[in-house]
Amino acid sequence: MDNVLLKTINTTKEFGQEIKSQVLFGINLEIQAGEFVSMIGSSGSGKSTLLNILGALDRPTTGKVIIDGTNLGQLSDDQLAYFRNRTIGFIFQSHFLLPQFTVLENVLIPYLIYAGKAPTEIKARALDLLDRVGLSHRKDNRANAISGGEQQRVAIARSLINHPSIILADEPTGNLDSKNTQKVFEMLKSINRDYQTTLIMVTHDHTLAASCDRLLKLKDGLIIEDLDLIKQPIQIQEDRCSVSD
Amino acid sequence: MNNSLTFEFSLARRFLEENKLQTLLIVLGIAIGVAVMVFLTALIDGLQADLIQKTVGKAPHIVVTSAEAVSQEAVKSVDGHTVLMIDTTQKDQRPIGEYHMLVNVFSADQRIRAVLPAVDGSGLIRRGQVTRGVLLRGFDLDQANRIYDISNSVIEGNRKPINNSVLIGKDLAVDLGVSSGDPISLELPGQDPLALMVDGIFDLGVSAINQRWLVMDQRQAAALLGIGDQVTSLELQVQDVFLAEQIARAWSSKLPNYQLKSWQETNAQLLTALKSQSSSSYTIQFFVLLAVILGVASVLAINAVQKSKQIGILKAMGIRTNSVARAFMIQGVVLGLMGSITGFGLGIFLTKIFILLAGQQLTLLLKPLSVIVILSSTMLSATLSAYLPARRVSQLNPIEVIRNG
Repeated sequence: MDNVLLKTINTTKEFGQEIKSQVLFGINLEIQAGEFVSMIGSSGSGKSTLLNILGALDRPTTGKVIIDGTNLGQLSDDQLAYFRNRTIGFIFQSHFLLPQFTVLENVLIPYLIYAGKAPTEIKARALDLLDRVGLSHRKDNRANAISGGEQQRVAIARSLINHPSIILADEPTGNLDSKNTQKVFEMLKSINRDYQTTLIMVTHDHTLAASCDRLLKLKDGLIIEDLDLIKQPIQIQEDRCSVSD
Repeated sequence: MNNSLTFEFSLARRFLEENKLQTLLIVLGIAIGVAVMVFLTALIDGLQADLIQKTVGKAPHIVVTSAEAVSQEAVKSVDGHTVLMIDTTQKDQRPIGEYHMLVNVFSADQRIRAVLPAVDGSGLIRRGQVTRGVLLRGFDLDQANRIYDISNSVIEGNRKPINNSVLIGKDLAVDLGVSSGDPISLELPGQDPLALMVDGIFDLGVSAINQRWLVMDQRQAAALLGIGDQVTSLELQVQDVFLAEQIARAWSSKLPNYQLKSWQETNAQLLTALKSQSSSSYTIQFFVLLAVILGVASVLAINAVQKSKQIGILKAMGIRTNSVARAFMIQGVVLGLMGSITGFGLGIFLTKIFILLAGQQLTLLLKPLSVIVILSSTMLSATLSAYLPARRVSQLNPIEVIRNG
C-alpha cells in the first residue's frame, strides 16, 4: 500500500531577518494516507515548526511541501487558508474553542467560515461527531462552560467536521490528566481507524508516541529516527533512552 | 463568497454580545455625541431661520433703483437692517419712468413671487410740539400686501387709505399721540405743509417701520413729490430667499440702467455672523466626531487584543485575512448604527424638552439634510475608526497565538 498523502522535499526553515537561525535542515518525509504518526523531540528540535509547515500555517524557507497532490508553495495566502479549511484539521494543546459560541456551533465553525450557514445534514454530522466524543448532551452549552477535557474533545469533533484528509495534533494531551489523556488518545486512534484519517501528533508522552503506527524523532532540525511501529513494535518503557529526549 | 459574510456577521455579533457592558457604554457614548449634534444643529438652524425670516420675511429681497442714483449716502445709510436700505437717499434717486415695462419683465420671471413699484420720499410730520422724520411710502396697497401684509397688520382704523389720508406705524402714532381719524401735517422739502388724515395704524412688528413709515396711495405720493407717472424703486420678493443675490446679479447684467441690490448685499454683516455661527457649530461637530472615532477605535482595539486567541484559531482553521478584518469593521458599523439611532432619538427628546422649558421664544429647526449629514458622518466615523484595529487583528499570525497559547 503505497499511497503517499504528504510529502516534503528538502524542506528547510530559517527564522530571523538579519541574524538567521535555521530550524529545519532538509526534511524529506513521506506520509501514507491513513497513517497515525507521532513526532517527538526536545523543545527546539524543530518538531513544532515542522508541524506548522505540514499544516500550511507556515511556509518553508526552501523545499517543497506537497499534500494530496497540491504543492503548497504555489498557493496564495487566501488559497492556503482555504486549503487548510478543506484539507487539514487542527487540534492544539490549548483547545482554543470560541467561548462566544455553543459547543455545537464550535464544532460547526470550520464549516461556517466559508458556508455561512449549516444545512441540516451538516448539523446532523456535527451532532454525530459530538456523540462520538461523548458530548452530545453538552451541545447547547457555552464552550467555556464545560471542563478542559471536554473542551479538548469538542476540539477533536471540530477538527473532523470538514472531512479533512489530515489531522494535525500539537500536544493534544499536554494539558490533560492521565485519565483524560487516555480518553483523548483512544478517540484519536478510533478516528484514525474508522475514517482512515491521517494523523500527525506531536507529543512529549512517550507511551502515547509508542502506541502509534510510526514514530518520528527530531533533533536539531533533522529527523534522526523514523520507526515503523507496526513492523517493529517497541517496548514501552518509561526510561527508554533511545526514544526519549 | 457572500456566504463567508454571514459568518463574519455572526462573529461580529457574538463578539459584541460577549461584552454587553462595553458595547452598551460605547453605544451610549456615540449616542450622546449624536444627540448633542442633533440638538445643537436644531438650535442653530432654528435661530438662523428665525433671524432670516425676521430679516427678509416682510421685506423686499431685491430693490431695483435707477443706476445713476447710487450715491455714497445710500451705502452709509445701510446699517444692517433691511428697512433702512430704502431710506432718505430715496429722494435723491432718479425716478424710474418705464416701470410698467419692468413690472411685466419681473412678473414673467418664475423665481420672483412679488413685484412692487414704490414711490418713496422723506419728510417731516409736526403735531403740536412733536416733530418726527418720516419715510413717505406710496404704493398700491394690494400689491404691497404681498410683501408687507399691511392690511392684516392694521390694528386701528381702516385697512386702506382713501384720498388725502394715510396709514402710519404704531410707534409713530404713539410718538405723535394720534389715533385713526386724527389730522397730521406733512412737510416735504421745499413745499408748504400739507394736511393729511390718519386713516389707520399698523404694526408690522419691526420698530424701524413702525416708527417711520407713512403709507399712502402710489399716485398721490407721486403727485406730492412731483414725479408724475414714475416710481423711485421696485421691490421684489423671490421664491427662494437664498437665490436673491444670484437673481439680482443675473438681472443686473440684462438691465444696465438699473441697480439691483439683494438682501444678502444689504445684510452682509448678518450673513457673516450666521456663517461664523455655523462654523462654530461645525467645529463642535468635528470634535464630537473625533470623540466618536477615538471611542470606537479604543473599544475595538481592546476587543481585538481580547480576541486574539480566537482569531488565531480561526485563521488556523482557514478564515481569510479579509474576513477577520470585515468582522471587526462590521462591529464598527453596528456600533455606529446603534449609537446614531439612539442618539437621534435622544436628540429629538432633548429638543422637545428644551422647547418645553424655553417656551415659544425659540424656534428649533431640524432639517432632513442636517439629520442625514449628522447620521452619515457618525456612521462613516465609526466605520473608519474600526479600520485600523480591524487591519491589525486580521494580520495576526496564527502560529504566534498557538505558540504562546
